[in-house]
Amino acid sequence: MTCAPPAPDSAAAQWRGVTVRYPFRGADAVGPVSLELRRGERVLLLGPTGCGKSTLLNALTGIVPGIVPAHVGGEVSVGGLPAAARLPSGWSADVARLFQDADQTLCGLRVGDEIAFALENRAVPEPEIVRRVTGAMRQAGLPEAMRDRRVATLSGGEKQLVALAATIAQEVPLFLADEPTAHLAPAAAERFRSFMLGSFRARSFLVIDHRVDELVACFDRVVVMAADGRIAADGSPRALFRGRYRDLAALGIALPAAAELDALLSDAGLAPARPPLTVSEALAGIGLGKAAAAAPVIRAFVDDRTAPAGAADGEPVVRLEEAVCAPLFGKPVLNGITLELRRGEAVAILGANGAGKSTLGASLAGLLRLAGGRREGPPGGMAFQNPENQFVAGSVIEELADAQDKALSPGDRREAARRDLHAWRLDGLEDLHPFELSQGQKRRLALATLAAARRFSLIVLDEPTAGLDARGIADVAALIAGLRARGRAVAVITHDTGFALKACRRAVIIVGGAMLADGSAQHLLSDPLLIDYAGLAPPPIAPALSWLERHAPC
Amino acid sequence: MLTAFHPLPKLTVCLVWIAASVLVFDAGFQLAVIALVAFLLVAVERRSPLLVIVLMLPFALFGAGFLTTSVLFGEESAYAERMAGEALFGSGAVAPGIVLFLRAVACGMVSALFALTTDPAGLVKALMLHARLSPRIAHALFAAMLLVPDLASQAQQIRLARAMRTGRPPRRIPGPVETASLVVPLLAFAIRRAGRAAIAMETRGLAGGRPRTVVGAPRVRRRDGLCGAAAILLLAAVLALA
Repeated sequence: MTCAPPAPDSAAAQWRGVTVRYPFRGADAVGPVSLELRRGERVLLLGPTGCGKSTLLNALTGIVPGIVPAHVGGEVSVGGLPAAARLPSGWSADVARLFQDADQTLCGLRVGDEIAFALENRAVPEPEIVRRVTGAMRQAGLPEAMRDRRVATLSGGEKQLVALAATIAQEVPLFLADEPTAHLAPAAAERFRSFMLGSFRARSFLVIDHRVDELVACFDRVVVMAADGRIAADGSPRALFRGRYRDLAALGIALPAAAELDALLSDAGLAPARPPLTVSEALAGIGLGKAAAAAPVIRAFVDDRTAPAGAADGEPVVRLEEAVCAPLFGKPVLNGITLELRRGEAVAILGANGAGKSTLGASLAGLLRLAGGRREGPPGGMAFQNPENQFVAGSVIEELADAQDKALSPGDRREAARRDLHAWRLDGLEDLHPFELSQGQKRRLALATLAAARRFSLIVLDEPTAGLDARGIADVAALIAGLRARGRAVAVITHDTGFALKACRRAVIIVGGAMLADGSAQHLLSDPLLIDYAGLAPPPIAPALSWLERHAPC
Repeated sequence: MLTAFHPLPKLTVCLVWIAASVLVFDAGFQLAVIALVAFLLVAVERRSPLLVIVLMLPFALFGAGFLTTSVLFGEESAYAERMAGEALFGSGAVAPGIVLFLRAVACGMVSALFALTTDPAGLVKALMLHARLSPRIAHALFAAMLLVPDLASQAQQIRLARAMRTGRPPRRIPGPVETASLVVPLLAFAIRRAGRAAIAMETRGLAGGRPRTVVGAPRVRRRDGLCGAAAILLLAAVLALA
């Protein structure tokens, strides 16, 4: 294959009238899309789940149609060269990509090998590779001593940092990241942010994400795709989030908390002159002497993002006493856990990657036998991290019918299943095998089956928002509120502190194999020292909570 | 100490010793091989004797098959045993069933010596560098090794999900029906994961037929040749004494 040299002032990446249609599909997955990423620019690409954001990235380096069959129309180019001019592997010197579930795409046996992999493939001389690996490890915050460690022995968070270091080491002009913060631990997300800001315009960034609060301030431009796979909005973050807030919210995409606060303040005539990107900026923009007028607005903003009070003193549903929790066949990971969940209560179980949250959840549900201590209460239901693990039937409708009350007649169960299909926005998918659904649809189906099973008085949800867009997350929050209203106890395992506040009044924090704190979610998540010690990211509304404490204490 | 040697000469020496164990039908020789390797593993490499015994269990069970066959079905297996006993360097001093048993264990011991003293990454890199092993195959092997613990964790989650439906905690050891029911979801997980890993590897420039650097591959040094020669001489000495 021959390649012409790129034009000197060409864009870092360009899509012109691009459409992508997968085989046997009646409609385009993407497009037509026309988009240009300029050199040194940092662009955030937003859109609802399934709108074709990842497909757009795949088309850039020829993964589509080079590896994944599809018909691609229009023109795609990288640095002025057509994407089709090289095989997908031929772009590794120009484009680096951090994948979703980056820790699951590793292929080196040791950390150093993993980071060196792309450079080895480019036949970079060994001394240069060693230099770049050292630099990338430093930038990703990996200690030098980790270079010879086996990847299989690393924790999930460490693997994410290794994947980040591997892309940094490529030292390329264009960096693509597909939902980097959805699976990154807070420390890794912070490293990614520093890497972007530390690149000093030497490279361009195109980042897809659903959790925008942590990174939004880093971007020059935001591009929004609608569910039909076309560009719905394109502009600077500040102008876009203020000028198009209501349109964008209607698309069901995640927007920064600051944008919502700004809209509320605008409605009250209190908006800061400069559109804010963080909640702190929005609060700082409230003029002197206007705190009293702003207080009800801030209170309404916080109330909308915190769980409503429920029956606080319902009867106990499940109780662990001095429990020693261990995974199947594994050694104990948690000791001395005493925890009680009551009817109508939602409790967030928070902790860093590998803290033992899932083990605690399964122990609470009675799915794991305790290695020590006592558990009291009936068995609970659990929605697992990977929703596929719950599916046993051959179609969506059978899966839902199987979950209904066994006392019902087969006809009534099928009827109830049809009602659930509609309630969980799964219409039209009833005859598909559950494994054929998109990730968001799978998660909704798993939650629907759990909600349909009326026999569980305790429901444990393990990372229920992973892979969901704003609308999907709102569905989960509504499910939790519904379960609470029906008198069930809910335990929510998550590392998303913003969602924990939205869904749960109470939180427990797991650190170092023990329960570090148990109390009001709002109180615990307002404590920066505690959050930092537990390896968590502060919730986006934390500055608003502090502001209310200072200006309008209850 | 043995871990410091280049994996390819070590592999060659181990294969020669295994070939000798297969060809020499002599209980004394097999015992000498077992004793020598056990000494190297326990005294030189400081491996736990229990670990060595556990590793030898499958080989011992395999060898026990020969032993029980020769004891219980002496007449039926007499011809095969006679042929084995008349093999090159054969000696009829000890019952053939016992020699076959010892031979299985001796081969297992030499294999264990290689596996326990060789870094798999070093071996694969050496094979890429000196034996033209395709990097696609090599890195697919690495990815597969990383997949194994994740598969185990997936299997556990599926078992917990099934237990939730039945309302009973899962048994420690899954029964045959439960094991069979895990196959399809685990296969789906493995295929999807392998597909993602393949795309990620291609995106990072892995392609066949292009020159490629191999970082940190073990280098062949003089001592590797010397030790290889010493191991072959030792084999000749054991053969002469047996």
